[in-house]
Amino acid sequence: MDLTKDKMNTLLVFLPSLILVGYFVYVSIGWNAVVSLSDWKGLRPSYNIVGVAQYVSLSHDPIFWISLENNLLLISLFVPGSLFLGLFLAILLNAKVRAESTFRTIYLLPFALSFVITAALWAWMYNPSIGVINSLFERTGLGFLKSGWTTDSSIAMYSIILALVWQFSGYTMLVFLAGIRSIPESQIMAARVDGASSLDLYKRIIIPQLKFPALAAFVVLMVFALKAFDFIFILTDGGPGYSTYVLPLMMYRETFSMTHFAYGAAIATLLFAVVMIVVVPYLYMSSRRAKE
Amino acid sequence: MTTTATQTATETATAAKPAEAKVLEIYHWWTSGGEKAAIDALVKVFNQKYPDVAVLQSPVAGGAGGPMRAVMKSLVLAGEAPDAFQMHAGYEGKPYFDAGNLDQISDLWTEQGFAAVIPKVVQDMVKFGGNYYSVPVNIHRVNVVWYNKAVLDASGIDPASLTIWDAFTAACDKLVAAGKAHPVSVGDSGKWTDTHVLEQIIAGEGIDFYEDWVNGKVTSATEPKLVHALETFKKYLGYVNPDHAALTWDQATAMVIKGDAAFNIMGDWANGEFLVAKKIYGKDYGTLATPGTAGMYGLCIDCFQHPKGVKHPQNSRNWLAVVGSKEGQDAFNPLKGSISVRTDADITKYGPYQVAAIADFKAAQYMYPSVTHGSGAPEAFATKLNDIMSAFVDNKDVSAAATALTDATKAASADYTTVWKLH
Repeated sequence: MDLTKDKMNTLLVFLPSLILVGYFVYVSIGWNAVVSLSDWKGLRPSYNIVGVAQYVSLSHDPIFWISLENNLLLISLFVPGSLFLGLFLAILLNAKVRAESTFRTIYLLPFALSFVITAALWAWMYNPSIGVINSLFERTGLGFLKSGWTTDSSIAMYSIILALVWQFSGYTMLVFLAGIRSIPESQIMAARVDGASSLDLYKRIIIPQLKFPALAAFVVLMVFALKAFDFIFILTDGGPGYSTYVLPLMMYRETFSMTHFAYGAAIATLLFAVVMIVVVPYLYMSSRRAKE
Repeated sequence: MTTTATQTATETATAAKPAEAKVLEIYHWWTSGGEKAAIDALVKVFNQKYPDVAVLQSPVAGGAGGPMRAVMKSLVLAGEAPDAFQMHAGYEGKPYFDAGNLDQISDLWTEQGFAAVIPKVVQDMVKFGGNYYSVPVNIHRVNVVWYNKAVLDASGIDPASLTIWDAFTAACDKLVAAGKAHPVSVGDSGKWTDTHVLEQIIAGEGIDFYEDWVNGKVTSATEPKLVHALETFKKYLGYVNPDHAALTWDQATAMVIKGDAAFNIMGDWANGEFLVAKKIYGKDYGTLATPGTAGMYGLCIDCFQHPKGVKHPQNSRNWLAVVGSKEGQDAFNPLKGSISVRTDADITKYGPYQVAAIADFKAAQYMYPSVTHGSGAPEAFATKLNDIMSAFVDNKDVSAAATALTDATKAASADYTTVWKLH
């Protein structure tokens, strides 16, 4: 191998972060996978390997299936919801409004807030008797729209998804706005000259070219939908009952409240596997694009 | 020659074990109003005896200590246990005991003469394998119904007559007829308040049934007393405010304070809420034992212990001695709303509710450890129970709850190592 001075320097610069990331991320992931194959229960670490016993008990645990279902619900509603709302807001903002930067800031603000804060706020807003939402519906004669929100187990998960879409639409809006703005002005001008209406413009020229920003946002949203913990923990703690249980919450409960470390590790490893299924194809596609 | 010898001798002397730093680090979850005042008073008593030791309090806020317990498990696993941390007496200490993270302190108990002034059931709650491992700091009562006197008087209901559940539900019916649609308030956004009510109903089925329950013997989903307890709970839920899942426990207590509800079942830490609202015991509000538990004292006990390998072992020991001492107890408990664990408490320092509680405690026929508050049953079971009860309050399905409850008991059967003797 031809180790030129340049290559050596590059390696040296990367070495510290390689070591840190390698240990704290990859070694930890590996260690977690090993723990998931053990029988560690309680505060004394035990590394007796018992094979896939934890995974087998996981498959028989009804709470696991409820949590998985809720995560899939999150993915199927939250991801498209945020993308469409973000696209809509980006299209609105692209129309050269007067106070564009003000609107941009307003839409982006929720994303800048911590989940703990927004969860506490939504808990107050969703309160069925004195919360803002139900009170507003009452006052404006829309009383039939009132509901129990997060206190009603049949719609609690949907209430959470609604709040999360609100929080993430600012991020997707930003991504799409950047994507729209990066389309060469010449294309748009040419289309206008050819007599394209705004609808045609968006349908045929702009939106098709938003494929890659959409994909990037999609991956971020997917990973979040699988990882979402703090928001749900603060807002409902998995309740009422098990209706808003998600996998990270189950993992936290099993590991820290019940000290079932090996069981929690199995849930974590499964979650990691699902996230990889989403992220790896995206990485492959974007590296292929970079090579083009 | 001589100089070098003296030099070496001095060097060896100074190289001997360094004196521990004058610091005491304690963890707890007492962050709100009255609780904070109470722990500060206890720290003050400690500093009066040991003025040169700086006490570092590390409070981790969060109802019933869930977040603090998670933090503590990580710290203990990493070998970084603080000098003492708040813990519920009983099963909550078991994971630490099993992993060998606690030092036994039987010698401290003998030295301070605690065994002579602390009741036997309480002593059993701080022992593992025959040795003492922690010092209790307070006794909270869990089987308490708080009522708004004005609301009851307006409907002519005598609280002293509510000794059985049928009488209680009859009184609720009377209140509903008089216009109070939801006479009972519940705030279960934290889930544990549902388990709290269930365990008082179970205690109301008889101390022998409660004893079987905490000893892990209730394993059949068709056990008649268990089903009856859940049916009673279901009836109770018919009188409860519909937005309970959005309220915290203290918001439910506030409903009774304001007169929006008549009854609320909560441990006597709720007394602090009434005091802050400047209500007077016996005039504005009152208490009674939850139906079926007259003569019983349900225990929720906080304690401190001596973790293994702590940085300041002597300070930790001194702290424990102060915690269990008469002045420590009588400084902490009046402000906390609980009562002293010692039978020689100075009653003049306590408020009217606590004086009544102390009298009840002395006259109690039976005492039982609370499951909701980490003492009576293994933590894995209690954690699962919160979710099961939250689901039951939501769907009111008695057989599903009974099945889930007994399944959880059977799943945790290996963890039921303490054998409680309550009667």
